[in-house]
Amino acid sequence: MENILELCQVSKSFSKSGFRLMDVTFSLPYGAIMGFVGENGAGKTTTIGCILNTVRKDGGTVKLFGREMQDGDLDIREKIGVVYDGGNFPSYWSPKQLSQVMAGLYQGWDQEVFSKYLSDFQLPAGRKIKHYSRGMTMKLALAAALAHHPKLLILDEATSGLDPVMRDEMLDVFLDFVQEEDHSILLSSHITSDLEKVADYITFIHEGKLVMTVSKNDLVYRYAVLRCKESQFRTLDPGDIVAYRKRDFQIDVLVADGKEAGRKYGDLVIDHVSIDEVMLLLVKGKRYERTS
Amino acid sequence: MRGLLKNNFFAAWANAKVFAAFLFVLGSFVVVVISQSLLIGFVLTGMIGFSVNAAAVTKNEFASNWGKYKLTLPVRRVDLIKSLFINLVIWMMIGTFFALAGTSLSWLLHGCPFDNPIDMLSMFALGISMSLFTGAVFFPLFYLGGEERSESFLVISLLCAFAISFIIISVVNELMEPGMWHVLIGNAVLAGCSILAYAVSFPLTVGIFQRKEY
Repeated sequence: MENILELCQVSKSFSKSGFRLMDVTFSLPYGAIMGFVGENGAGKTTTIGCILNTVRKDGGTVKLFGREMQDGDLDIREKIGVVYDGGNFPSYWSPKQLSQVMAGLYQGWDQEVFSKYLSDFQLPAGRKIKHYSRGMTMKLALAAALAHHPKLLILDEATSGLDPVMRDEMLDVFLDFVQEEDHSILLSSHITSDLEKVADYITFIHEGKLVMTVSKNDLVYRYAVLRCKESQFRTLDPGDIVAYRKRDFQIDVLVADGKEAGRKYGDLVIDHVSIDEVMLLLVKGKRYERTS
Repeated sequence: MRGLLKNNFFAAWANAKVFAAFLFVLGSFVVVVISQSLLIGFVLTGMIGFSVNAAAVTKNEFASNWGKYKLTLPVRRVDLIKSLFINLVIWMMIGTFFALAGTSLSWLLHGCPFDNPIDMLSMFALGISMSLFTGAVFFPLFYLGGEERSESFLVISLLCAFAISFIIISVVNELMEPGMWHVLIGNAVLAGCSILAYAVSFPLTVGIFQRKEY
């Protein structure tokens, strides 16, 4: 399957903070939603910055629509819609002014689509953005990101700080967007329940390093957590362990194949795993680095 | 580019409305009262004020994610900077229009406010040079030092513009004998230097901005 977005060995370091993004590699296929998960400061926004060229990467390649995007590649940018956390637009604008500016920037700006989203989201076109609630601001950003008919949406914490009803509305829009098979979404979020609803793939990042990319179906139906005692843990085949975390009286072990683990370790309690739990195991637990 | 210019115009418009109202009141005094110093003040305030406002609003864009968001739009970084430079010139011309309107009405009602009409040219040349020098210093400083220091940079830029303009005037006065040619050449040198500085500042700002990360 072709990929709309490919990152290969992308690295970036910041001398002031000491933060390093290390060899991040993943790809997003056409027609898919990828959840990009990691704790605060894990490197999600830096990675997105490298994709969008708002941050200059030190090494590696980022291919969008099969090409590395340079400053002058306006045709690629025409096909990308971006929503950042918080206000994307100056607060002194109204949606009407926003539309006037965007119409002068995007060749494919569609006023009808923008107006339709304003109406669907119940956003008053004449009111200044500073009088909008946070949820309304995010909806407006999404409307603007969609109104030029992009093929790739990149959303950086776009649903954070929204109430469940608003988040659900936005998730419906995302699902609607990827009905077109050449449309994809990269959605960075802390709210893993949102990703469980919409994502096809989940990419985990921790301390600047990509931990793993896994399809959501695999995560839900194949990955599992073994609850075991110290003595049981010692008998496990290290090759089966993705990550483990010691708790008060037990050790939680993330395995990539729950059914296989069930056959192999029949006496252990095996639970399905949520994205939240995987994230905690990967971030707070210890990981087994596989060499093969 | 059209979208960027609209963006910059909207950014400057809110403050410009208030400033325009103030200029209207000041202009009414200038037209009614016969005062050479008031007229000079009005002309310089109008021309420099609108330009400074146009430069100052650059920082507003960083109050939201817009400054970063703009980099994801289908525009080149060089065009983002170009639009700022054009915006300042547009607002300087709006200021010049206000200044011309006030000066013309005053002249119409009370006659020429200067001993020699050509002295009025000096007033406008100074307004243009101060505006352009301010922009020429401010834009590279803004992107070099960061938006959080923009107020300081604006003050520094304005003071630099003032100092540079008066250094040029002093040098011309030193080198030339008083007379019409002195005024004409002095104004040409002043305007020429400011245009040159503005032109040089553009690639410098672009060079700085190309390396900026958000």
